[in-house]
Formats: sequence, structure tokens, C-alpha cells
Amino acid sequence: MSGILATFGAVTLPLAALNWHSFFFVLFAAVACACAIAVVLADNVVRMALYLVLSLGATAGLFFLAGAEFVGAMQLMIYVGGTLVLLVFGVMLTAQAPFVSIKTTTGDRVLAGVVGAALLAVLLQSAFSVPAWRQPAAGTVAAPAATPVGMALLGVRVDEPAAGSPQGAVRSGYLLPFEIVSVHLLVVLVGAAYLARAKKRKTPRAIEVAASVEPPASVAEHAAVGRGAGRATSVLSGGRS
Amino acid sequence: MASAIDDDPRIIEFDVRTDEMLVNMGPQHPSTHGVLRLVLRTDGEVVSEIEPHIGYLHRCAEKIGENLTARQWIPYTDRMDYLAAMNMNLGWALTVEKLMKYEVSEKARHLRVLIAELSRIASHLVGMGAYGLDLGTFSPFLYAFREREKILDLFEEACGARLTYSYITVGGLTADLPPGWLGRCEAFLDQFEPIIKEYHALLTTNAIFVKRTANIGVLSRELAIEYGCSGPVLRGSGVDQDMRRDGEAIYTAMYDGYAFEVAVMKNGHYPRDHEYPPVPADAVLGDCWHRFFVRMLEVVQSMDLVRQAIDRYSACKGTIGEPLKLTEKIPAGDAYLETEAPKGQMGFYVVSDGTAIPWRVRARSSSFSNLAVAPELCRGCLIADVPAIVGSLDIVMGEIDR
Amino acid sequence: MAEFLINSAGLPEWLAWTITAVVAAVLILNVIAGGALVFIWAERKIAARIQDRLGPTRTGGRFGWLQSLADGIKLLAKEDLMPEGADGMLFRLAPYVSFCASFCAFIALPFAFDFVGQRLNVGVFFVVAVLGLEVFGVILAGYASASKWSLFGAMREAAQVVSYEVPLGMCVVVPVMLAGSMDLVTIAEKQAGWFTNWYLFHDPFTFVIFWVYVTCAVASVNRAPFDLAEAESELVAGFHTEYSGLRWSYFFMAEYGSMFLVSALAAVLFMGGWNGPIPVAKLLGLSAGTGDTAGYFVRLLGMANLLGKATLGVLVMMWVRWTLPRLRIDQVMTTCLKYCTPLAAAMFAGVMVWQLALPGGIVRGLSRPAGEVREGWLEGPGGKAASRPAADAAQKVAEVAR
Repeated sequence: MSGILATFGAVTLPLAALNWHSFFFVLFAAVACACAIAVVLADNVVRMALYLVLSLGATAGLFFLAGAEFVGAMQLMIYVGGTLVLLVFGVMLTAQAPFVSIKTTTGDRVLAGVVGAALLAVLLQSAFSVPAWRQPAAGTVAAPAATPVGMALLGVRVDEPAAGSPQGAVRSGYLLPFEIVSVHLLVVLVGAAYLARAKKRKTPRAIEVAASVEPPASVAEHAAVGRGAGRATSVLSGGRS
Repeated sequence: MASAIDDDPRIIEFDVRTDEMLVNMGPQHPSTHGVLRLVLRTDGEVVSEIEPHIGYLHRCAEKIGENLTARQWIPYTDRMDYLAAMNMNLGWALTVEKLMKYEVSEKARHLRVLIAELSRIASHLVGMGAYGLDLGTFSPFLYAFREREKILDLFEEACGARLTYSYITVGGLTADLPPGWLGRCEAFLDQFEPIIKEYHALLTTNAIFVKRTANIGVLSRELAIEYGCSGPVLRGSGVDQDMRRDGEAIYTAMYDGYAFEVAVMKNGHYPRDHEYPPVPADAVLGDCWHRFFVRMLEVVQSMDLVRQAIDRYSACKGTIGEPLKLTEKIPAGDAYLETEAPKGQMGFYVVSDGTAIPWRVRARSSSFSNLAVAPELCRGCLIADVPAIVGSLDIVMGEIDR
Repeated sequence: MAEFLINSAGLPEWLAWTITAVVAAVLILNVIAGGALVFIWAERKIAARIQDRLGPTRTGGRFGWLQSLADGIKLLAKEDLMPEGADGMLFRLAPYVSFCASFCAFIALPFAFDFVGQRLNVGVFFVVAVLGLEVFGVILAGYASASKWSLFGAMREAAQVVSYEVPLGMCVVVPVMLAGSMDLVTIAEKQAGWFTNWYLFHDPFTFVIFWVYVTCAVASVNRAPFDLAEAESELVAGFHTEYSGLRWSYFFMAEYGSMFLVSALAAVLFMGGWNGPIPVAKLLGLSAGTGDTAGYFVRLLGMANLLGKATLGVLVMMWVRWTLPRLRIDQVMTTCLKYCTPLAAAMFAGVMVWQLALPGGIVRGLSRPAGEVREGWLEGPGGKAASRPAADAAQKVAEVAR
């Protein structure tokens, strides 16, 4: 039995010789990159969000592959959850047809290409300028644990202190950066909400209010409902037209 | 566009810009009680306007009535409010009898009360159960139908049909009760009485139910009268009117000697309200909760009336008499009579030229007026409130479209 | 298992790992699919019994055991419809996104001591994160269906699930804090022994937060009274209005999978996981740590325990569904933002204070030293050197909370 299976293994040697870690790394990386490009090329907000989620999910896969389970799960929770909210806002705020279906002009593409290439150049430059990153890590990496990260987020570093620091001296954790990032996000959120605000007819909530607001001219528009015409178009018909 | 918005004095609120959407609720929708079509103008979850579209169940019943004799038209009245067909039969029969100045025997009168009130219980059970369904709870619906089935069993024994009875007819009833029927009816009432408490526990006093119905769709007393609402919808707004007490003599005479109190809130109290759960603090007169509660009270009231009718019916000697023959000529003239059907005041109008076939037949449907007020109630509510409000009006499309 | 294949069967490493992965995946898939079959049957039966009906009685013998299978065959045979205006790719993809999310979360769920697809040291976090992905499929389905009702359902689902993740996360953090680990296996192991060791009974705060978790879990898997995304009386069928056949059944399986998952998570986090109320195995002198038959038996017993608790959770959800009316969307959000979130936060702070004041808990004995409970926090490379600052920091956090 075992002999037969061993032979089977020997026959499919190329598979055995494959480095599975590399294989999955390439797989996830390819998915992430392809979906990232698809985000740019897609012209429908919801599809863009889908590709974005796939891209971020593949990145989470890379994290899991690297043994950084905490960061991986974090990636899933924050980015995918965040994309959801983004999607809801995207659909809700850009209900008008021209925004649901976004057509990029050549100028946009060129501009985006230049900016993107510049960013890539900066990243590559900085990545290769770190000497330690250019050679494989020596020895085995300690089993990953979420505790140090969690403690560091609370402002306490429980991992190895920096060389030469006196015993008991605590390196500062990630509390400050964490707070800065969260405040930054809050500012972005408020800003987005401010930009999205517009004048709008007050929605009558109670009957007293309703009584003072005369109903909109409705009959003609309602008559057009069945034919999908009328002033109030849906997100869906807008997205498809 | 922008300038129009700027000039509009109604635009006073800054908010995230959203678009309005027109949505068709119905005619194929789980909670529109048949083939009602509601066009909702929604902004997100908020409904700014609804417009009912009717006519999907129109069968020209009134025109057919002008080609049939009065008794032949009885089956068509069955199909109006098919949940309370007995009361529809009664309304038409009484209208024709009014024109003919005909009086049924004492025994038939009590039997009519018995049957009509039993039918009212059945109708309110459906209204109550379906209302639970509108609010997303399925079980009370089946509990209500379980009891309604027992009433239908009784009706089936009496007249052979379970939905379209044609039992009460011009000049009396098609048949007398079979032997042992009264005992079975009393047994049903005794068995049914404690179950009402369960309905109160599952719906009336349920915290989520109260949250969904209290202070929702408030129909003011004045608005209810203006729109011609009737029945539990009117009484739920605190208007003390019940055709059984305030109607025309030929109808109220039927209830002569019967003791009942109109289920309406007076001075902040419902009749015999110590027996029922207290009115929740959030509920205001005229909201969905009150409309629902009035129906629940009327179930008890009708049970009481059925018990009285059983006593009086069994005390009567003789037979219920024979109904008029199918081709009986109707004297020339016209008559209009409104009766208190479970859903409200059901009016029938008949004009005769002296032949057996009426010259004109018209019906005034209570559900029609009750539905007409829905756009007022739904203005500014949430989508989830639309079924709650329309459900609390307890409409039957068969009656609206005829 | 992979080690066993490599060492005993002499398989090449890659094949052994692939086989292991496939076997694990198939096992988990069967838990979901088989579980869904059983639960759908159970739901039908339970709903029927609650509603005074019989439910399925014929398919597969007296109790209709095979009803779900028959349903499945029917769904397979149904025509696969897609609305004309639908976004084809997203419409086809959406059910699989939902199902995959539900499926992936099972990977980290331990069924017994080492019966776990992949033991992650951030298991809790992973499960909650992946479970949140399920909503993505729902939103895609709602958008791609080209139906306004579907879109309403999707928007409700998005708002609801994103909101409820906050209190849910807070509830989940409490057992994590008590166990000092995010590893589900460790959390469950810390509750070994009598049921008094369960975190449910750890202190009054955990007891309260368990019920907050139950509320949020029901809401996050879209079950009544929070089933707004598919509210049949308002939105026809919500996000899956336009789905039929097999695609629809994927949503259904995802729903039942998620129900089971949150119940199992509740069992692991609060009710001792695979540790029964009475430590039978320990009393018998058996241990799961051994690899022999006795150890295997202990694990099977533990798995039965966990499945039993999770099934109980699912049954409770069914009971709730067939009893309560549905909340309205604003009430659902109020429940989350005004009640669940502050309550969870307060309880979270309470548990922290309790841990400082009574580290061993009352039930588990006041004599237990504080250090033992907190030990898990300090198992970093820093070792003892880091223990003091860590404890200080924890104290500071608690002070802030006070």
C-alpha cells in the first residue's frame, strides 16, 4: 500500500518538488494584483468594491501565509468591513447614474498612471534601501502570538527590549500612532459626510408636519411608474442605463 | 434644478443627498391582503407618500345584480367580504326586506344574530392573525385560523359551505340549524374564551408588537369622520358609533333585547377594560394598536351576543319560516341600508321597478373608505410601517373592488 | 493526520498535506451541509409544533426525516432564473460569497480538544472577521438582482450587520480577556471542570454580557426578530427575492451555517465549549491529552457536548423566530446603538474591575492567586521582565475604566 503510494508520489515528482509556500504566495499575490488592476478598470461602483474586497482578501491571505494571523484577521475585519461601508456610501451617495457607472477619460488614466508609477518607485526605492530586507531571515521565527501586538497597541511593549536599553525601561508602544490614525480616520469620515451633504426637502416625519406640507404632484409621476419613467429613478435603473 | 431647490421654502434640512425611489408594493406582495397595489415614494426607508391602486379584483358584481333576482344575487355578496360572507348576506337581505317591508320570524331573527356575530368573530380572527403576519410573526396567524376553522365547521354543518355560505337570504335563512348544533356552538365558545388570553399575551401586550403599533398611523377622530371610516377603524379613533345601536330601525330591531356595549374608548376606558390588558403607555387613541385592540374587544363582545342569541333562539317555538321564493317580485321604489359588518358599515342600495330583477344595485364598501385614509396615515412613515398601517385597517379587496 | 500519513503510510509530504486539507474541508463542508439538512427539518418540525401543526409527516417515514433532502432535490431541479436587468456576474457570484464566508469561519472552530480545522492563535478574531464577510454576499445579491426590494434588503443588512459587529466584538472580547488568549481552544480549556467554571457563571457581568451576545448574534445572522433583510411582509423576500433553485439554497445553507457557528461560538466562549456541565471524563480518570482510545473517546464526548450546546442555541433561535414579531429597522438600530453597545461596554468595564477586585471569581474560590489567572498575558518572549509593566498597564486601563 505504502509502496504504491510512494511510487505515485515519485511519478508526480514535479509537484513534490514545487515549493508550496512560494506557490501560494504567488497565487495570492497574483490575485491581489489582478484585482487591484480590475478595481481601476471597472466602471461600476459595486464591481469595483467587489474587486477591492478580493484584492484585500488576497492580501490577508498573504499575511496568513506569513504566519501573521492577527494582522490577517485584522485585514479581513477592518478592510473588508470598511469596504462594505464604503460600498453602502458609494451606492447611497452616488445614486445618480453618472456616478454609479464611472467612465474614466484618457487624461484620468494618464494622470493616475503617473501618480501610481511615482508611488511604486518610492516604495521600491525605500524597500530595497533597507539592508536587512535584502537577505533571507536567519534562523526560525518565533511562533507568532497576538499578545505582544495587543499589548503594544495598549502602549506596552512586551517583546524584546531594544539592545542596550536598561532593564525595566519600556519602549513606547503603538498607542500614539493608533490614536493618531483613528483621529485621522474620524476627520476623513466627518469630511466625507460634509462633502456629501446637500440641501434636501425636509422629510415629514409626523402627521402634523405632513399636514402643513402639501404632497408633491404625484398622479402623473405615479402613472409613469410602470414604464420606469418619471423623475425619481432608482439606483438600479441608473446603474444599468 | 438647483435654483428650484434653493427657492423652495420647504427645503430646510441639510442632509446627505439621497434620491427618491418609486416602489410598487403589490399587486403580488405578501402583505397587501389580496391584490392591492400600493405605490410608495420612498427616500431610503422613509415613505413620503403612498398611493393605493385598486381594481385588480373587479368582477362587475353590481352590474350582475341588475340581471339577477334579489335572492339570486346573494352568492355574489358572499364574494364581497369573503371573510365575513354571512354579514354580507345579511346586509343585502335586510336591504331588500326593507324595500319589501318584510319582517322575518322571531326565531329567524335570533338565528341571524347568532350567525352574524359568529361570522364577526371569524372575520376578526383573520384580521388579528393576518395582522400578526404583517408584523412578522407567523404563529398567532395559525392560532387564529385554528379557532376560525371551528367556526367554519359550525357554519358548514348549518349550511354546507365553509366560505361562501349564502345562508342568510331574503326572507330568512335557507335552513334551520341541525340538531345538536347549539351544544357544539356553546362548547366552542367555552373552549375559545380562555384562548383570547393567549392572543393578548402573544400580540396585544408583546413588547415588540406594542413598539410596532403604538403611536403608528395615528388617525385622528376628525380625519376618520372626514374620510368616512367606519367599523373598528372609526371606533379605534374614539368615535362612538356602531350601526347595531345607531343604525336604521330595521337593522337595530334585530338586536332588540340584546345587551352589548360598543367597543370604544370613553373617558380613557374601554368597556369592561379591567378584564383586558391595560393600554400601553405609548399608545395614543387612533393608532394601529387601538384599531387592533377594538377588534379584540369585539370578539369578546360577539361571543357574549352569540350566547344571548343561543338562549333566545332556543326559547323560540316553531320554525324559522321559509325564505321568499327565488322569483319574488320586489315593489317599485328604492332602499338603502347600512349594516355593521366586521370591517365597518356595509351599505347596499337597491332600486326596483316592480319586477323580480332589481333595476339598480349598488354597494357601499367599508374597506374602500378605510383604505382611502391610508395615504394620510402612511405619510412620513417607514417602509415597515406600511404593512402595519394597512394591516390595521383590515381591508378585504373583494369588498373594495366588488 | 498529515504526520501520520507521512510517517506511517510513507506518503510524500505534499500529498499527505493535500489529503489532510481535503479531508478537513470535506468534513467541515459536511458539518454545514448536513447540519443545514437537519436544522431545516428541525425548523419545520419545531415551527409546526409551536403552531399546532404536524409539519412534514410523510417523506421518509413517520417524522418526515427526508423532507430536507426532498426539498434539496426540488431546488436542484428548479429553473435557475435571473432577472433581465441583473448584473450577471455579481448575481451568480453572490450566493457563493455568502456561503464561503460561512464555511471559512468553521475552519477555526474547534469541535473538541484538537478536532479543529486549523488552530489559529487569533481564532476568535478570525471567526468574527470572516463571519462579517457573509454580509458582502448579501449586499452583492441585493444590488445585482435589479429589484428594488432586494436593494432595500441589502441596505438594511449592511446597516444592521455593520452596526451589530461593534457590540458583538465587545462581547467576544470578554472571554478573551478572561482567558488571556484569543485561541478558541485555550479559551475552552480554561473553562474545564464543573459548569461553575464556565465564563457564563464567572461573574454577574459575564452573565449579562452573554445575553447581550445572544441578542447581537441573532441580529448578526439575520434571524427573527432581526430578520429585516428578508422581512417577507415588507420586502417580499428581501435580498433573495430574485433567487431560485440552487443559488437560493446556498443562501439558506449560509444562514443555517452561520446560526450554528454563532451558537457554537457562544458555547466555546461562554459555556465551556466541549467541557460538559459535569466533568464526566475527569471523574472517570480519562484525559483528552492521550492519543489512545480513551483519549479519543473523551474527544468524541467533548464533540457531542459542543454540538449539543450549539444545537441548543440554534433551537432557541428557532423558538424565538416563531414567537416574536419583527422589529422595525430604526428599532433594530436603537437596540444596537442605545442598548447593546453601552451595555456591552459597561459590562466589559465591569468584568475588568471584577478581575482586579476578585481575580479568582466568587464561584471559583477567592483563594486563587491573581497571578495565575493573568498568566496567559505574559507568555511573551519578554518573560518575567515584562510582567510588571504589563500588570501596571492593565491596572491603568482598569483605573481609566473606573
